[in-house]
Amino acid sequence: MKKENGFIWKLGMFVTIGLLLLISTIYFIGKRQNLFGSTIHLKAAFKTVSGLKLGNNVRFSGINIGTVNNIEIISDTSVLVDVVVKKEMQKFIKTNALASIGSDGLMGDKVLTISPGIFDDSIVYAPIKDNAFIPAKSAVEMDDIMYSVKNSVDNVDIITSELAEFTYKLNNGKGALSKLMTDEKFGKTLDATMDNLKASSKGLSENMEAAKHNFLLRGFFKKKEKAEAKKKEEAAKKLEEQKMKKEDAAKKLAEDKKKKKG
Amino acid sequence: MLTYIKNIFNDVGDVSLFTIRFFKEVFKPPYEIKEFFKQCYFIGYKSLPLVAITGFIMGLVLTLQSRPTLAEFGAESWLPGMVALSLVKEIAPVITGLICAGKIASGIGAELGSMKVTEQIDAMEVSAINPYKYLVVTRVLAATLMIPLLVVFADGVGIIGGFAGVNIHSDVNMVRYSEQVIKSLDFIDVIPAVIKTFFFGFSIGLVGCYKGFNAANGTESVGKAANSAVVVASLTVFILDMMAVQIVDLFY
Repeated sequence: MKKENGFIWKLGMFVTIGLLLLISTIYFIGKRQNLFGSTIHLKAAFKTVSGLKLGNNVRFSGINIGTVNNIEIISDTSVLVDVVVKKEMQKFIKTNALASIGSDGLMGDKVLTISPGIFDDSIVYAPIKDNAFIPAKSAVEMDDIMYSVKNSVDNVDIITSELAEFTYKLNNGKGALSKLMTDEKFGKTLDATMDNLKASSKGLSENMEAAKHNFLLRGFFKKKEKAEAKKKEEAAKKLEEQKMKKEDAAKKLAEDKKKKKG
Repeated sequence: MLTYIKNIFNDVGDVSLFTIRFFKEVFKPPYEIKEFFKQCYFIGYKSLPLVAITGFIMGLVLTLQSRPTLAEFGAESWLPGMVALSLVKEIAPVITGLICAGKIASGIGAELGSMKVTEQIDAMEVSAINPYKYLVVTRVLAATLMIPLLVVFADGVGIIGGFAGVNIHSDVNMVRYSEQVIKSLDFIDVIPAVIKTFFFGFSIGLVGCYKGFNAANGTESVGKAANSAVVVASLTVFILDMMAVQIVDLFY
């Protein structure tokens, strides 16, 4: 009899541990799918679900809070998605929440994201109810991205063709720009012109000096000088006033800090 | 040629009758409870070390072997999930099935074969004990119920082996690892894998018993019975596995 007991408890232990392993595995997988524990259902209608599948994750603020429970097509333009969300998340999801479909990484699964809506301090949003509808925000589709990429590529095409035309004209044309770029003689002429211009402007400044001393124009120049001096003074005054203000503000701040510490 | 084919059909018919007899006898009292527990102990508990060591090594080796390929894609974080998935779905059931085919089917085949040769089975019948009930039903039932448990153990130990393998090259803690494992598993992966192991166990027990019970007279036939029990049981495990995977594939 003793011998029998010896093997029976070993067998019992073996069976118990094996069954516990199996049950815990099933429990944890079930927990992941929200089959156990209290949950709430939320619904959202999308134009397209972009490959969302049953069992995909539902995210709120980047945390997985549930899974997609059912996807049902209602009409040719709307698909109803039913999601199961943990009950403890109910108080965080407000009535102004928005649902959108995105993808998890480049190759990853699709995820349904519930994001808080535009927040307005004046309104207190109530937590969402069970079986409530969440307005859907249409996600950026791959097609949309491709379409905009195509647009910009088309533009680039036009720009490059125009650029090619422009450079061709530049190289072979007879306009001023092409002359500037290619004609050596023109460059030399331009240089000479610049020299002439320099000499003539020097002459002009001498003329002006002479004009200042001329009694007919002296009055005008004196008036101008006076006006400039006045402007400078005013500017200096303003600067000083600003400095004073800043110092006052700094003093006030210091006093406030002292009061707080006190 | 004709007799050869006839012999094959004869064998198939015999096995079918043997199986039908099992189902007839299994529900009929009296039940041989004590013998059943004893067989459970031998088949389940005594095979555990072997299965656990194999499972651990399979998990470890699978992790080490698949790491370079996944590292090429920069997808090393998928390693726990991939190893757990392949262990639970395929490797643990089949490897455990094969190990048990080697250990249990050969054991049963040799035991019953020698009993048959030494006419112990006939002696049982004379002393009004149903030998089929006492020897076959208990063993087949024990194998059917114990091998799924052994597979569950192999899954668990294999996943621990995978954890050891992952930690050789990188540093992943147990919580993160088990989270990734659970994340990758689904009911559709676990349930069919568990169900098919019942069939593995049943076929291993049945083949062992059939070969032993129908051993010819003579000492060499004991060895023959044990040998062919292992071969047929291993083959059956593979064939059943293929069928099971195809059936699951239909639904998924």
